[in-house]
Amino acid sequence: MADEVILEYLHMEIISQFYRSCEKSDQDQCIAKLESLGFRIGQSLVERFTKESPRFKDELDTMKFICKDFWNYVYKKQIDNLRTNHQGVYVLQDNKFRFLTQMSNGKQFMEAAPKFLALPCGMIRGALSNLGVNCVVTAEVSAMPACKFQIQIQRA
Amino acid sequence: MTVYTLYIFDRNGTCLYYTEWNRKKQPGMSKDEEFKLMYGMIHSIKSFVHRIAPTDLRDGFSNFRTSRYKLNFYETPSGMKFIMTTDLTVGNIRDILHQIYSNIFVEYVVRNPQCELGQPITSELFQTKLDEFIRGLSIFPTRIS
Repeated sequence: MADEVILEYLHMEIISQFYRSCEKSDQDQCIAKLESLGFRIGQSLVERFTKESPRFKDELDTMKFICKDFWNYVYKKQIDNLRTNHQGVYVLQDNKFRFLTQMSNGKQFMEAAPKFLALPCGMIRGALSNLGVNCVVTAEVSAMPACKFQIQIQRA
Repeated sequence: MTVYTLYIFDRNGTCLYYTEWNRKKQPGMSKDEEFKLMYGMIHSIKSFVHRIAPTDLRDGFSNFRTSRYKLNFYETPSGMKFIMTTDLTVGNIRDILHQIYSNIFVEYVVRNPQCELGQPITSELFQTKLDEFIRGLSIFPTRIS
């Protein structure tokens, strides 16, 4: 699909479909379902994107791949800030997240933001899992369109 | 050079957005009535202009002027109507209305997941961007009179 807005519109519609078809008590289920959608997408995407590249030296290298190449392929930009505590927790900050730029410039529509971050979280988790890294990904938004993804590596 | 008000209607007649910058005289009726009046009138004028045309029309109805103000009209292929009242010194602002549609409306309303089509626009981002754009136009007054 050549035009980037097609992905955005498709994403918007998937989310509203999910929410329309589930009952009031199942709202959290929707976030979980969106996340597992993203998981599967991330897995396949990363297979395709790393066809040509060599194996990653270590975890940090894998994270840098996610921040630079993976983000570039999907959102046409790179992550603005990567922080880690070297103990398995990484925080990725994107100051102008693609799905949130058109929504608001600050605090409006804040309650709706998590719905739009569930799929991207799942994509990160799927991508990492297919690269051999098991983790839990959460996202938080304090002021749109900036958002932070927190990745916690699970060591077996 | 002044911009007085701006209305945005969708194809069903719902007023999606209304804003004013320099309106000095209120019409003396409620906002709902005003929107219905505006939409009905514009619809009638449009179809009147079309039927009475003695030659082939290029664009159809585009503006009307009185001795004090000018009302400019622009309709998109999807039926969105942009109506802007300005003073008499402005020329043809069809391009400006088109820019409002493509750079601001489509960007910040159509692409906003929270804004449903056919519902009044509540996005503050849209309001901010629209305001910035209008104030930056050369037809907007630079000093408040």
